[in-house]
Amino acid sequence: MLRSLLRKKLAMAGVIFLAVFYFCGIFAPLVAPADPYEQTISAEARLQGPSSSHLLGTDRLGRDLASRVVYATRTTVVFTVVVLISGSLFLGLGLGLLAGYRGGWVDTLIMRTGEVMGGLPTLLLMLAITAAFRTRINDISFWLEDHTWLGDDAATVTKFGIIVMATVPFAWIGSTRIVRAQALAIREEAYVLAAEATGASQWRVITRHILPGVMPLFIVGVSSGMAGTAGAEVTLSFLGLGIDPPTASFGSLISDGAGPQTLERYPHLLLAPAIPVALFFFAWNLVGDALVDLLSPRGQHSA
Amino acid sequence: MGPGLLGYTVRRLLWAVPVLFIISVVVFYMLRLAPGDPVDAILGQRFQEDQAAILRKKYGYDQPVHIQYLKYIQNLAKGDLGVSTRHQQFTVSEVIIPKIWVSTRLGFIAIVISFTLGTAAGVYAALARGTFLDPLTISFWLAVDAIPVFVAAPALMWLFALKLDLVGLGWRGFASANIILPILVLSLPGTAGIARFVRASVLGVLQEDYVRTARAKGLPERTVVLTHIARNALLPLITVIGLALPGVAGGSLVVEQLFGIPGIGREGFDAVLAPDFDVILALVLFGSFLFVMANIAIDLLYAVIDPRVRVGAARG
Amino acid sequence: MSNRMLTLMMGMVAFLILAVGAVFVIALAGGSDDDDTTPGASGDDERPRSSGDGICSGNSLIVPGSDPASVLDPIQVADVATSEYVVEIFGGLVTLDTDLKVQPDIAQEWEVSNGGKTYTFKLRDNVVFHTGNTRRVTAEDVKYSIERAADPANASPTARAYLGNIAGLRDRYENKAASVSGVKVIDDRTIQIDLVEPSDYFLSELTYPVAFVVDRQQIESNPRNWTQKPNGTGPFRLAEFKPAEKIRLIRNDRYHLGAPKLDEVVFELGGGSLLTRYENDEIHIGYVPASLLDSVKDGSNPIAKDYQAVPNMAVFYFTLNPQKAPFDDPKVRQAFATAIDRKTVNSVLLYDAYRAADGFLPPEMPGYSESVKVYEYDVQKAKQLLAESKYAGNLPRIVLSYSGSGAAPGELLVALQEGWQDALGVTIELQAIDSSAFLREQRRGNFQMHSDGWSADYPDPEDFLGKLFASDSTLNYTRYSNAEVDRLLLAARTEQDRTRRFQMYTQAEQLILDDAVVIPTFWPVEHVLVKPCVQGYPAVSMTVPKYRFVEIKAE
Repeated sequence: MLRSLLRKKLAMAGVIFLAVFYFCGIFAPLVAPADPYEQTISAEARLQGPSSSHLLGTDRLGRDLASRVVYATRTTVVFTVVVLISGSLFLGLGLGLLAGYRGGWVDTLIMRTGEVMGGLPTLLLMLAITAAFRTRINDISFWLEDHTWLGDDAATVTKFGIIVMATVPFAWIGSTRIVRAQALAIREEAYVLAAEATGASQWRVITRHILPGVMPLFIVGVSSGMAGTAGAEVTLSFLGLGIDPPTASFGSLISDGAGPQTLERYPHLLLAPAIPVALFFFAWNLVGDALVDLLSPRGQHSA
Repeated sequence: MGPGLLGYTVRRLLWAVPVLFIISVVVFYMLRLAPGDPVDAILGQRFQEDQAAILRKKYGYDQPVHIQYLKYIQNLAKGDLGVSTRHQQFTVSEVIIPKIWVSTRLGFIAIVISFTLGTAAGVYAALARGTFLDPLTISFWLAVDAIPVFVAAPALMWLFALKLDLVGLGWRGFASANIILPILVLSLPGTAGIARFVRASVLGVLQEDYVRTARAKGLPERTVVLTHIARNALLPLITVIGLALPGVAGGSLVVEQLFGIPGIGREGFDAVLAPDFDVILALVLFGSFLFVMANIAIDLLYAVIDPRVRVGAARG
Repeated sequence: MSNRMLTLMMGMVAFLILAVGAVFVIALAGGSDDDDTTPGASGDDERPRSSGDGICSGNSLIVPGSDPASVLDPIQVADVATSEYVVEIFGGLVTLDTDLKVQPDIAQEWEVSNGGKTYTFKLRDNVVFHTGNTRRVTAEDVKYSIERAADPANASPTARAYLGNIAGLRDRYENKAASVSGVKVIDDRTIQIDLVEPSDYFLSELTYPVAFVVDRQQIESNPRNWTQKPNGTGPFRLAEFKPAEKIRLIRNDRYHLGAPKLDEVVFELGGGSLLTRYENDEIHIGYVPASLLDSVKDGSNPIAKDYQAVPNMAVFYFTLNPQKAPFDDPKVRQAFATAIDRKTVNSVLLYDAYRAADGFLPPEMPGYSESVKVYEYDVQKAKQLLAESKYAGNLPRIVLSYSGSGAAPGELLVALQEGWQDALGVTIELQAIDSSAFLREQRRGNFQMHSDGWSADYPDPEDFLGKLFASDSTLNYTRYSNAEVDRLLLAARTEQDRTRRFQMYTQAEQLILDDAVVIPTFWPVEHVLVKPCVQGYPAVSMTVPKYRFVEIKAE
């Protein structure tokens, strides 16, 4: 098993980067040098390049860009984790196992539903869902604020909730497909048939035999899809339909700095968020790729 | 293709009809029950209630929803997709067909380039296995893939149009050089996925017996590569391309917005926000139809390639 | 290095050379910019495009445009985007010139009689439609056009609002009559219009598209599709229309007020990096985004010499709903009005992109008066007003709604929100609503506080004050009602003496501002870039026909 030193190093670097990224996201209030919401509207304070008082400069409203980037990592972290757990883990894995192992009408139902949903233009539908619910954001968040422990965070939670709701219905389809294909193949294996013959319950068969078999490719699929999931949030925020200001998110930070003229005059506006987010995608790509090498037999994998 | 598979195909095709039907009903109802109202959008600030009533009558929004749906199906059978409320001058077909054509051509060119570059890179990386050039190639394309399009586009525009003055930025059709930047932005990111896939595929094939046999027979390396490796490694690639093709007809919203391309991605985006019911419905149906067809084709390919799947499906 | 490594390295290098080379070859061979024609260019009467170097050597003006939302039928035009094209393609009895004064168009002269209730127009004898026939436009055509506007079957959204003062029009519109009694054809070249009440601004209303003259023969022979090649009397006619892509207008040589100097005007509807394309010499007109305004205004940016500031006859404002707490208490409203620092926000955040509003009517509006004042920015006073209100210390949640078809709130809104929060200690939530839902909610008066805007349909204070603030106006969504304001507006409507009329509007405006139901923020300005070779591009604050005055002088 020849594993080139370079690839291993790169993947390790990716893992380290992701660890730092997720750390920043989870501990954002501790990591950020300043308050990301504090505005200073004066000609001297806004749109400044990197300096000693503001490591990455300030944005159009005089807010500290470094802090906003840190809080943006939090947005991405929360989003990816939530979608991972609900979309990929529960739905993707669960439905895939169900469809692959049970077969029959369960399989047909799940796969046809996936077809129906997958055939719908995802971005359009995500837009439609977020647009439809935006009118209700305040109603929902006020209710949450009053009736639950969420308090001030209710508004942010609501906005997150809406985007997650818009993304999860489409996030499970890919995982399910992968898991199902693997499950279909594995259930014909001799040891599975033997277990069934000796009277093991379905639940036991699934958890003991099928699940470990599908996990490798599932992990590969998820890590490959991570970049896409995070990308969806970034795109939505960029278009203004995701997490909007004043909450920091990479998409909105980038949209602030995008544009050739702005790039020329205030490059820090674009570079400060673009570099971390590009590295984020890159790191996930590398990790996913390394996992493919590690977990697939003989370097071959089925699509 | 044995009789079991033929039956499978027919069954899947028959399934497509109710699937599309359900999609059309769901979306139709969703549109009319959602908060957006096209009559509001048309009249804007100068809204007056009796004016709105007349417009609703004109478009049939005052009828109960199921009657509207029946009317829509009737028109659909005649090939009439409805009128666009956003471009009142035009019918839905007049609006979306040229745009779908633009997006499809653009996307197709991008896929061809992705495919070519990706295959070349993948084969190269596979052949270079063991050296640093293998991970370097793949990592390079992964890095290209990691740059979000709305970051790359302004940078490229700045470089090639403003600084180097090589291309213009306006939409001048496919005959002009202005098409380069959008095509670059569309095709380069996808190369990574294809390269990885091809590389893995080639590596798998390289270890097969028939390759070693060919080499042992003393055939020139070039023949080995071209006839044996390439043919077998690229077959599964078709699956991947097949899945990507329907997406092409959907256009890329961000790229079209950034470059001012009159494509279907932007049109869909604007239609969803307006909302422009008939355009949305037409796009959804069209996209779903393509997707369902592509799915069937791919499942068939899977069944042909991997016998385990075939057995499983038959048992299930 | 092994043989194999060598081969691989060479392969890599070869690839790089090929890639870079390919890009350059395609770029240079395809040529840059604009001598390509778009594929599938349709439309007859296509003038040959100017080949040769660049946009300044031909006679074709390329400008950015907005996609028309309505059909190109004057009686269906309800949005600014469509009217841009309609005012160039069609014409009416009167028109507005670039100084926003009413000028004769199809009518040559007119007489007002009967205490201001009768207008008798004498038409020119040299007005013809674009193509298809050589007959002169007559009074019959004018009557036909107005009847068509009033016909309930046509469902014109603007007929009643702008022509409602014509005797018999409302009856016709509500299907109580078979024709409009107030429009009478005296002879081929004379038409008489009777009004319900005398009005100083009737002629201004006639400049609006709904009163434009259309070709009866064309419409009757092709009722469903005539708007695809509409026949009008305007300085340009439609050659090509690709939705969301482009509109091409070409010169009408037979235009009665003098043929335009340009061959054609091409409107690019696709958007996409307009400023970059302007810098790249691909279009003649560009717009400066607010973020670059400072560098353009102080001259450090090379495109600064092309800059023109074009004020817009419009106003941005916030509406505080007096039917909803806490804005039912005037002191709260006044507190908000006193706690808004327009000048700083405008100068620092927007680089003076707009003009801080001192009143409601913008300065270009006839009837504008400098004496009208808004509340001065004074944080102490604002706090005090709030403390005096019945909600002191107990303010309910405040939601500021704005219309964003998906877009995030501009920095403007965020800055103002912070300003209010800091000054008054209130919590304001920003709520984005997509535009069609926004309009509906606004109509129902459901908003507590929302950001709003209004732009002029015709240059008269009635269009702003009367339409928005009269208690019986259908557009008065918050049901704002002030008896004194109503009295003034009603009297002004029928007042014939212009000076006295404007004085009434000024008084009404001040009362409205004192009530603080609306807080005007800014009067918008368009920051336009015009290529030096383009002469005569007028800086008009409203949509009026303007392209016939433009010409391109090769430099």
